[in-house]
Amino acid sequence: MIELQSVTKLYNEGRANQVEALRGIDLTVARNAVTVLKGPSGSGKTTLLSLIACMARPTSGRISLDGELVSGLPESFLTELRRTTFGFVFQRFNLVRGLSVLENVMLPAVPLGQDHADVRARAMERLDALDLAGKAQMKVEQLSGGETQRAAIARALINDAPILIADEPTANLDTVLAERFIDIVTGLRAEGRTVIITSHDPRIWGAEGVDAVIELRDGQITGEFA
Amino acid sequence: MIRWLRRQRSLADYTLAALARRRGKNLALVAIYAVVVFFVASAMFFAAALRSESTAVLADAPEIVVQRLVLGRQDLIGAEAIDKVAAIRGVTDVKGRLWGYFYDRINGANYTVMVPDDPEMIPEPRSVIVGEGIPRARGFTWKGSPLFLSRETGDLKKFRISRTFGTDSALMTADLVLMNEADFRDFFGIAPGFYTDVVARVRNPQEVAKIVEKAGYAMPEMRFVTRNDIIRTYQKVFDWREGLLAALAGAALLAFAIFAAEKASGLSAEEAREIGILKAIGWDTRDVISMKLWEGGLVSLGAFLLGAVTAYLHVFFFGGTLFAPVLKGWAVIYPEFDLSPHIDGLQLTTLALLTTVPYIAATLVPIWRAASADPDAIMR
Ligand SMILES: Nc1ncnc2c1ncn2[C@@H]1O[C@H](COP(=O)(O)OP(=O)(O)OP(=O)(O)O)[C@@H](O)[C@H]1O
Ligand SMILES: [Mg+2]
Repeated sequence: MIELQSVTKLYNEGRANQVEALRGIDLTVARNAVTVLKGPSGSGKTTLLSLIACMARPTSGRISLDGELVSGLPESFLTELRRTTFGFVFQRFNLVRGLSVLENVMLPAVPLGQDHADVRARAMERLDALDLAGKAQMKVEQLSGGETQRAAIARALINDAPILIADEPTANLDTVLAERFIDIVTGLRAEGRTVIITSHDPRIWGAEGVDAVIELRDGQITGEFA
Repeated sequence: MIRWLRRQRSLADYTLAALARRRGKNLALVAIYAVVVFFVASAMFFAAALRSESTAVLADAPEIVVQRLVLGRQDLIGAEAIDKVAAIRGVTDVKGRLWGYFYDRINGANYTVMVPDDPEMIPEPRSVIVGEGIPRARGFTWKGSPLFLSRETGDLKKFRISRTFGTDSALMTADLVLMNEADFRDFFGIAPGFYTDVVARVRNPQEVAKIVEKAGYAMPEMRFVTRNDIIRTYQKVFDWREGLLAALAGAALLAFAIFAAEKASGLSAEEAREIGILKAIGWDTRDVISMKLWEGGLVSLGAFLLGAVTAYLHVFFFGGTLFAPVLKGWAVIYPEFDLSPHIDGLQLTTLALLTTVPYIAATLVPIWRAASADPDAIMR
């Protein structure tokens, strides 16, 4: 269970350009479920995900993961959590330019010290599931938008993390590929994993496997549907 | 342990891939770096080789050289001196030597002419054995060629070149001319019973000083030069020249340090972003730093090896072409030296550390800052 209590996030705190991205979020995200965040652009979805995934700290409030308070942990623990607990699909993909698709997908496994051939095989499996195996050796900057998105998804899946966090993962995908992604998510859920997705995409909100939809507006939760 | 090794393997893989994408820049970097190492290592190899060479050659040299002085200048020495020196207790193996320098008017070069000690090397009458430098300078191949040498009196004398020295000892013998005793005396007009100097060996090297002192009283007109005197002089010359080279090397290292510091100060936006991504997907500061250690290590070690190996080839296979004029006093040690591979392990290790450690350190400094930052900066 992921719990947020009175979480706020200010950017540029105290300065003229201060932004109140989240204002008092109280939210419980169930494990072993698929949760979708929706809301207009600028409503704070990405900000909320980055707090949940321990990439940033809330300005105030508490975040706990399975009962353990994570918002106060030192950076080294947060890195450990990111590595062992989360797979992240970034809205802007954040692939490392100059490296091949395969190398990018393998990156999150580097610190784990696993057998190189195993990691490689796993990466190829993920790429294959997303129809990208043929482009494994291509440099990521040569990919199309949809291919880049799929490479980013494959990278998030490489470590079989218990929690997958995906920020607008289908924004660049056509219907077939979006459905493929939904299949993957449903499969993860069946394995007992937790998925949190932000999306503008009605194909996602309406998808069968979705357990909860949370609506954000101006940094506040305006609706929760199960 | 296996986990650690695998992690290092993956980090090294990543580093290689990362280096490969800025191939041009990184190759240029390695090249500049290797050139610096090349110069410093060449100087080091050269100096160390000369030093060990001089000690080795001098180790075979006679312990005492006797010269006759007339009005403070060296003059021919009579055969009776050989007997006198041989009569001193503790002295063995006394021999008169015939050798000297000869200015060849025809091509303006200086040769060293000597009567060899080794019977195998003594040429037939009217022929000479010469170093390769001489026929080359004269513009002919040696085989059967006549070599005309001009006597002090102006008349030419014809010698047959019976053979030349092989290339592997070219440095040592390039300008050497060997004659048999009769030809030498005839050509330079030295009467029988006279020598250029006399050499002697000593049964117990510890006694050299005492023997020389005693001999000095018995033969006040003679000068006795001991091998230790010569070694000391050589060492001084080398030390001085090495100091000069060390200063040059220091300057090169300094230039390099400035370059490294410049690199240290600026971490490009691209690099900072990459580190942000790596941190966001679970690399910790230690992983990022290990990766940068690999990068610095590969670059600096690669450059070091490249520079050191080319320096080795340069010094020992191409005769240190670039440095010879600086390090080798032409008249001083020529023609007695030939460079055979010799490496001073301590010096080489020092150079390795001097070139790799500052570079790696310089690469790490800004990384530390970036790697310890929050990863959320890359979220947008
Ligand atoms: N690093 C930052 N510095 C300043 N302001 C920021 C920063 N990140 C986000 N913001 C602001 O916070 C608010 C929420 O941004 P966020 O990215 O969370 O929105 P979003 O819901 O993900 O939008 P979109 O659907 O367009 O991705 C926006 O007004 C944005 O301008
Ligand atoms: Mg967003």
